[in-house]
Amino acid sequence: MDDRPPAKRIRLTIDSASIEAAEGSTVLAAALENGIYVPHLCHHPDLEPAGVCRLCLVDLAGKGIVVSCKTPVAEGMAVRTETPEIASIRRVIIELLLANHPWDCLSCGRNTDCKLQQAARHAGVDESRLKRLRRTDRVLPLDRSNPFFTRDPNKCVLCGVCVRTCASIQGTGAIDFIRRGFDTAVGTLGGKPIAESSCESCGECAARCPTGALSIKESEVPAREVKTVCPYCGCGCGVVLGVRMDRIVGVRGDRENPVNRGRLCVKGRFGHAFVRHKDRLRMPLLKRNGKFEEISWDDALDAAAAGFGMRRGDAFALLASAKSANEDAYAAQKFARSVMGSNNVDHCARL
Amino acid sequence: MKPLFEEALRRARDEWRELHDGRAPLILVGAATCGRSAGALDVLDAFRSETRRLGMDARIVETGCLGPCYAEPIACVLASPNPLICYGDLDRERAARIVLEHVEGGRPAKDLALGSIGEGRADGIPDLFETPGFRLQVRRVLGNCGFIDPCRISHSLANGGYAGFLHALELGPERVIGEIKASGLRGRGGAGFPTWQKWRFCRDAKGSPKYLICNADEGDPGAFMNRSLLEGDPHSVIEGMLIAGFALGASEGTIYCRAEYPLALERLDAALGQARETGLFGADIFGSGFDFNFKIKEGAGAFVCGEETALISSIEGGRGMPRPRPPFPAASGLWGKPTIINNVETLASVALILRNGAEWFAGQGTAEGRGTKTFSLVGKVKRPGLVEVPLGISLRSMIEEVGGGAAGGGRVKAVQTGGPSGGCIPGEKLDTPVDYESLKAAGSIMGSGGMVVMDDSTCMVDFARFFLDFAQKESCGECAPCRLGTRQLLRILEDVTRGKGSVADLGLLREIGEGVRKAALCGLGQTAPNPVLTALRYFPGEFDDHVRRKKCPAAVCKELVSSPCQHVCPIGTEAPVYIAHLAAGRIKEAYEAISRDNPLPSMCARVCHHPCESKCQAGKWGSPIAIRALKRFAADFAASCGMRPAPPAAMPSGPRVAIAGSGPSGLMAAFRLARMGYRPTVFEAEKIAGGAPALYIPEYRLPRLILDAEIGAIESCGVEIITGTRVGKDLPAEAIRKEFAAFYAATGAHKPKRLGLPGEDAHGVMDALSFLKEVKLGMEPGIRGRVGVVGGGNAAVDAARTAARLGGVESVTVIYRRTREEMTAFRGEVDAAAEEGIGFEFLAVPSGIDAKGGVLKGVRCGRMRLGSPDESGRRRPVPVEGEDFEISLDSLLVAIGGEPDGRYAGGFGVAVGADGRIPSDPETFATSVGGVFAGGDAVTGTLSVIDAMAAGKAAAEIIDKFVRGEPVRREYRPTRPSVFLPAAVLTEEEMESAARPVQPSIPLPDRMDGFAEVEGGLSREDAVREARRCLRCDLETEDAKKALLDAKHG
Repeated sequence: MDDRPPAKRIRLTIDSASIEAAEGSTVLAAALENGIYVPHLCHHPDLEPAGVCRLCLVDLAGKGIVVSCKTPVAEGMAVRTETPEIASIRRVIIELLLANHPWDCLSCGRNTDCKLQQAARHAGVDESRLKRLRRTDRVLPLDRSNPFFTRDPNKCVLCGVCVRTCASIQGTGAIDFIRRGFDTAVGTLGGKPIAESSCESCGECAARCPTGALSIKESEVPAREVKTVCPYCGCGCGVVLGVRMDRIVGVRGDRENPVNRGRLCVKGRFGHAFVRHKDRLRMPLLKRNGKFEEISWDDALDAAAAGFGMRRGDAFALLASAKSANEDAYAAQKFARSVMGSNNVDHCARL
Repeated sequence: MKPLFEEALRRARDEWRELHDGRAPLILVGAATCGRSAGALDVLDAFRSETRRLGMDARIVETGCLGPCYAEPIACVLASPNPLICYGDLDRERAARIVLEHVEGGRPAKDLALGSIGEGRADGIPDLFETPGFRLQVRRVLGNCGFIDPCRISHSLANGGYAGFLHALELGPERVIGEIKASGLRGRGGAGFPTWQKWRFCRDAKGSPKYLICNADEGDPGAFMNRSLLEGDPHSVIEGMLIAGFALGASEGTIYCRAEYPLALERLDAALGQARETGLFGADIFGSGFDFNFKIKEGAGAFVCGEETALISSIEGGRGMPRPRPPFPAASGLWGKPTIINNVETLASVALILRNGAEWFAGQGTAEGRGTKTFSLVGKVKRPGLVEVPLGISLRSMIEEVGGGAAGGGRVKAVQTGGPSGGCIPGEKLDTPVDYESLKAAGSIMGSGGMVVMDDSTCMVDFARFFLDFAQKESCGECAPCRLGTRQLLRILEDVTRGKGSVADLGLLREIGEGVRKAALCGLGQTAPNPVLTALRYFPGEFDDHVRRKKCPAAVCKELVSSPCQHVCPIGTEAPVYIAHLAAGRIKEAYEAISRDNPLPSMCARVCHHPCESKCQAGKWGSPIAIRALKRFAADFAASCGMRPAPPAAMPSGPRVAIAGSGPSGLMAAFRLARMGYRPTVFEAEKIAGGAPALYIPEYRLPRLILDAEIGAIESCGVEIITGTRVGKDLPAEAIRKEFAAFYAATGAHKPKRLGLPGEDAHGVMDALSFLKEVKLGMEPGIRGRVGVVGGGNAAVDAARTAARLGGVESVTVIYRRTREEMTAFRGEVDAAAEEGIGFEFLAVPSGIDAKGGVLKGVRCGRMRLGSPDESGRRRPVPVEGEDFEISLDSLLVAIGGEPDGRYAGGFGVAVGADGRIPSDPETFATSVGGVFAGGDAVTGTLSVIDAMAAGKAAAEIIDKFVRGEPVRREYRPTRPSVFLPAAVLTEEEMESAARPVQPSIPLPDRMDGFAEVEGGLSREDAVREARRCLRCDLETEDAKKALLDAKHG
């Protein structure tokens, strides 16, 4: 857990609201934390600010227009999040972004949950001007190589959130900006499909993408969410399952969980298909006459206990699952050594 | 302490002295990249082999560049007894000649010499630094360039090199910063931030080590100041870096230079090696405790890497992408440490300041911009090159004096400073001083020193498109506004240049441009819209012409222009079509193509000022096609075999339209209306039809019979002409309103302007228009003796040449307030007048008329001189006090123009101005009264024949719309010929011998005997040969290419 001393509080005014923010925080973060929306695309609270989408412009008394995501808060600072000049610049940027963005919002997985939509609604867009700026001379191919998510460069706003996530959160650096100018894109080494890159499919990038450029395959909007713990390894990452009826339709990391603070690996995020898989064991099986038969839990325990009783000492070996928590693993080896009298203890070590 | 250095210095001085002692000839060859691309290495080789052949012990030195690009390759030769002579435009032969004549024979080749340098003069050769290209220059940073071998440290040392560094070591870092502060030096890379202040920040910043970077990533199109300096005097930059590093407390200096500068890199590398050997850098330099080392980083050529944070990222091995500031590099730069990035020229200036003192440096320039600045002066300028001038000099001095003015001798339309990040400054603002603040106020920036001059052949939309194309290609793609905005600006500008733009687009350009300017992350993005924003600000009319009228005034934008000749012709004559017919020998078809839209081709072929030829692309590399002569050939041919514009199958029977005035405008309107089925009636006040050309253009230029034949043909197409009827007087407005569906007033400008001097009514004084008319109509105007003609237009020259043909005239003198250059009369006419013995009194304006007993005796004139240009771009005459003089005359013809007298239009309800002009809409020619239209000279005052015809053509189109009840609106389309004819294929021999033919003319003195037409037509052979020379620009548009391809395959 964070054991740094609490940061000093800074007082500032944003629009007419007088607010407090931690020292070292940026104006944008302070505004968002206080429920004041400033349009932005490249900002993400987990990442160092990049200041590249240029939407979060604000007017600082005495300094003029600055990007709020790169401006640290200062005592007594007076910020205006919108002036006629800022509104006009923002609208230009949004129109420029939308001019090259597919107009298929209704069929896009991020519809209503898209930061570009949110910013566009806020900035206001002139339809006739947008039509004039519309250029459809470039349609880029989608990268569907990854089994869990699709990359649609046409919907990419080049905010760099994925690139920064991959480099600084996941530490993988599978993707970076390639080419320059208007042709800039996010790509892999040698321009290979993402599945052939060093990508670990953790999906951290897709989880942070502000638009539909990185979208999870087979995701549905959940009807409700259930907070639980990841069943894979023993880390105990908090997950929030998206559930529809009794089906899991998606998983997201639990930002409040101190173990993973919202992050997940490929298994925790995408490995939930087993839950409803037809091969999944739902009852214990006992092999009788060369055939597995379903039996009750009590019968199964009795059968196991009978077997254990006949094989104490070196004849016994314990192989524990990597899914076990440390406490469970401890209890299991204790059982093997003190009850079964065997040091033959091992662990499957991977999932 | 520094014996190695002192020994090197002593030897360097000896070597330098010996080099110039005159015992052996010295030849300096400018062998920088610029010189080499012009052939300097050949010249160098020629000097070497030629001196060797002659057994001379010549010292031949490769130097950097002296600056005058226009005269490359350049060499300077020192051979006693002559001073150092600078030669330009050299090649192998000329080099050999110089060796023979100058080095061997002691006679400098005067015709090849640009000037002499230093003490002493050679016969007839001016001091180079006193010639116009150099006089205003103050060469400090470039002082050694062209004179020293950049690869020999001794040459630098002998000329004060590294003395500044030694001085800095004595002063200590704080006093060095103080010295730079006192000098007032500001960053030469573009932004002009005070150098000392930046150093101060860095020196005071926490963090170690500190880094120094020399920004040699010069990337502006057309800029080569830094390259030239690095190639000409690399040691000055190294010295500057040592001083800066010492002042900052830095221990490492990186020179970031683009890999496209191989020679600069090579010379830098050599210079660094020598400096190290001399002990000038390394550990504990000269025992001072100061350690410093150098690195060279070759940039890959991205323009944005000139931006300091992108440059740092590039040195660190990352993508060359900028990062937002703050933090500024002075606090956190390379590897997160305090870093100073200075431009090449800034660092060279630092060396000079420490060598010569702050006071010396500040002695040039202005209070806000001290010192000198180098510029790459390029574009449409006579003397392009690398120049160094004191800050504060005016753009006018830079361009007109240093640069010699616009290349074609025309008007400077605009100048772009600061490269793609700067803006254009219009010709009217050439008095803007070249300093940081003034250029910024004018909407541009100083930048690193690129200066691109544009003249009338530059289209400002195309100019903006060019720079946006550059900016969008060089945008790194990091921030959204620049990445997307520059692309959109480019696309919209491309649409505008292709005729697909709208008025709304101009607003969009401004809005996106402002958005990008204010929102982009780095300097590149923030300044990228400057070219388009300044072009929009200063040349809104040109953008408007593109989007609304589909016209490119400079005839540059291909998809709008098609062929420049057709595009700039006010009536859109399809010159490429008739030229193509002529080229194929189809003369009748050529005539048909001409006469389809123009009922007066024979007249136009004689008197039109042929704007078509002014923009002819063939004229760019040779002579323009003789388009008017070709038209004349076709028209004369048609006349000789009785061809006329085809009369309609049936006479028109539509509504009647009345036209006042049978000049070019009225006849054109009538012809077009008749072609559309109307029944036009032209009322002419004079006894003869034809207007000004019939009345005032002398017979020797436009024979009556030829014009009458064409007017007759117009009549046969269904046009009724009634002469001797003045509308408003002989025929009341009411009658016209009753009987005609519309009325077009094209009554010209026939009221002579008067001088407004007492005595103007004296006997012997006459207005030129009346004079010309009387002569043309066979009357005797009574002009005799010594004749003076006041004016500089065609009427003045016509009057002078006419007078010279009359009996009883002894002499004719044209009196004009400006010079021959500014005369509005056709150049050919002025030349012919001079040939015919007519005298000119230029820079003179009549101030009084001497008359005795009501009879003219002479005129008193005031002397003028030329001042600064007026709106027309011609230099304004300014009176010179106390130099009045008198000319004795028997006759005086006043030819200062005619004015319209449109008062009769009042009868139609039109409010006529005090100047007699009939106000009408410049596009639709509609007056304030429905159904009444006016055009031509009656509206504009005297313009040209072809402009009057254009008004008539457009008026007919509008009258048709009016009568049919459609909205009275002009419609414009990009220029296209009606048919794409294949181009002639020239033989090699034809290509080599192609030359513009000269029309024959009656030799002197025969032509003075009467009024026979002076200029003859081309022979058939000449005409066809000339037509084949046409470049056929009309076939270069996308649709033309497609049509030709389709024709070929289908």
